[in-house]
Amino acid sequence: MSVAVAERSSAPPQHALRPVISFHGVSKVYPNGTEALRDVDLAIHQGDFCFLVGPSGAGKSTLVRLLIRDEAPSTGRIFIDGQEVSRMSHRKLPKLRRKFGIVFQDYKLLTRRTVAQNVAFALQVTRPGQRHLREKVEEVLWIVGLEDKLDKFPDELSGGEQQRVAIARALVHRPRIFLADEPTGNLDPDTSWGIVQLLLQINHRGTTVLMATHNREVVDLVRRRVIAIDNGRVVRDEAEGSYLREGTATL
Amino acid sequence: MRQIFASLWFALHSAGQNFRRNLGVSLAGVFTMGLIIFLVGGSLLFTHSVDTVLQGQEQNASHLKIYLSDNASLAAITNFESRLKTDPRVISVTFETKDQAAHQASQNPDIASALNVLGSNPLPASLNLNVRKLTDLSQFNAEAKATPIVDSTTPTDYNSDVISKLNTVITVIEWVGAIIAIILLTISIVIIMNTIRTAVYSRRTEIEIMKLVGATDWFVRWPFILEGMLGGLLAAIFSGAVVFGAYRLFVQAAQGNLLSVPFDVRYTVTLLIVLLVGGVAVGAFGSFLGVRRFLSA
Ligand SMILES: Nc1ncnc2c1ncn2[C@@H]1O[C@H](COP(=O)(O)OP(=O)(O)OP(=O)(O)O)[C@@H](O)[C@H]1O
Ligand SMILES: [Mg+2]
Repeated sequence: MSVAVAERSSAPPQHALRPVISFHGVSKVYPNGTEALRDVDLAIHQGDFCFLVGPSGAGKSTLVRLLIRDEAPSTGRIFIDGQEVSRMSHRKLPKLRRKFGIVFQDYKLLTRRTVAQNVAFALQVTRPGQRHLREKVEEVLWIVGLEDKLDKFPDELSGGEQQRVAIARALVHRPRIFLADEPTGNLDPDTSWGIVQLLLQINHRGTTVLMATHNREVVDLVRRRVIAIDNGRVVRDEAEGSYLREGTATL
Repeated sequence: MRQIFASLWFALHSAGQNFRRNLGVSLAGVFTMGLIIFLVGGSLLFTHSVDTVLQGQEQNASHLKIYLSDNASLAAITNFESRLKTDPRVISVTFETKDQAAHQASQNPDIASALNVLGSNPLPASLNLNVRKLTDLSQFNAEAKATPIVDSTTPTDYNSDVISKLNTVITVIEWVGAIIAIILLTISIVIIMNTIRTAVYSRRTEIEIMKLVGATDWFVRWPFILEGMLGGLLAAIFSGAVVFGAYRLFVQAAQGNLLSVPFDVRYTVTLLIVLLVGGVAVGAFGSFLGVRRFLSA
């Protein structure tokens, strides 16, 4: 499958002194008693590209949910851009969430809206009355390579294309941090590789990217930072890691 | 400004879409709401009509005749009369002499012939009292009994039984009306709440996305609240029209029969406005409750 790759910007990723995401002793116990995360410490800098790997039920999605304060940690503190997310008031959450672009395994597209309308929706509900809406929508759809599918409905697209629409929607308000929770979970290897290329390209433009995945080939091919979680604990954090611990069959 | 219009347009557009997409549930909600508003409006108008009729009765009932003893001096009577006249609870006091009483009574031919047979006038003179409130009558009755110039065998024509019954009827009707109205109000809030829950459910993906991309709670809420207000307004318009028509027919029918119920224009207009505002307010409140649980999650 051919992948439309936009021109790469020449700006290298910048490392600010203060991490853009940091976890300090974070644990999460769900109301039913499940310990999803235990004592997690993490620092992710602006412009980083990180894979979050681990077996099913390890706590990857929980970590993502804590970042956008869909859930609050049971103990510990989480900072985004120097702001403490774990104690943020409900009123401030919309502003926090506008810093993130987020995609999931199920694309969460609105079936009654066209591709362009799906992308526009994100701006309409956060910045009503936004000027040049159409241009902004077309621009991100061009970045993800769907400039010729503007007026199609999600049902008329392949899985990979639907995920690209979701990515475009997440990009349209120019997020600082891009979160992808198993974005390739429903896709074949070729299509998955195309999506990962797209995320790398988004990262190359300076956006921090965190991708939770089970996709071993992709992680091993890309060779970027790998954070491995098992049973709620960070068991490995390598700058140019692979899916499994080097030379073993374990995380 | 642009932003406000865009938000308003978004909310109105979504509200209309919700209404159409769940047309069955929406119409059922509006219909039940309409029925309830009709019941509230109808019972308020009915209570009001009964009240008007009863108030007429009450006015007739708020008379008290204080019978004076035959040997009371004119000075004492005048003194008592002026004391009553200055009482704020009293509307008017008139003095009726023995002759006037006889004249009044002889309008009835039986009594006239009886008076003729007697040759003398046994009827007492009286002070005829007209008071503002029915409930004050018992106090005047007691006061009359304690006054020396009042006839001690039959001090007044006070009939505590009829008066207290009338009082009870009025209070009961008012209370029953109020309780029924409160029950119906609660039911309609619950109905709107459930209609909105359906709308929220059918939009759950949209709401999820809105929250993910950082829409504010009020932005998410407004379409549903508008939908509820629209439903309430529709219900109020239809049932208001029906209540109005039914009231006219009732007044006409009553006039053809024994009672004359006046067509109270001011009350009706006020009532229709109250129904409209009430319908919209109930719609808004019910929707607010309907989306609240979903948003706090
Ligand atoms: N809302 C919830 N309530 C209770 N327990 C939960 C909830 N969500 C997740 N869990 C539990 O927390 C643990 C971590 O779940 P999580 O979804 O974070 O795992 P994951 O690493 O994303 O798994 P997968 O790879 O299958 O997506 C699991 O044991 C899961 O059953
Ligand atoms: Mg998961």
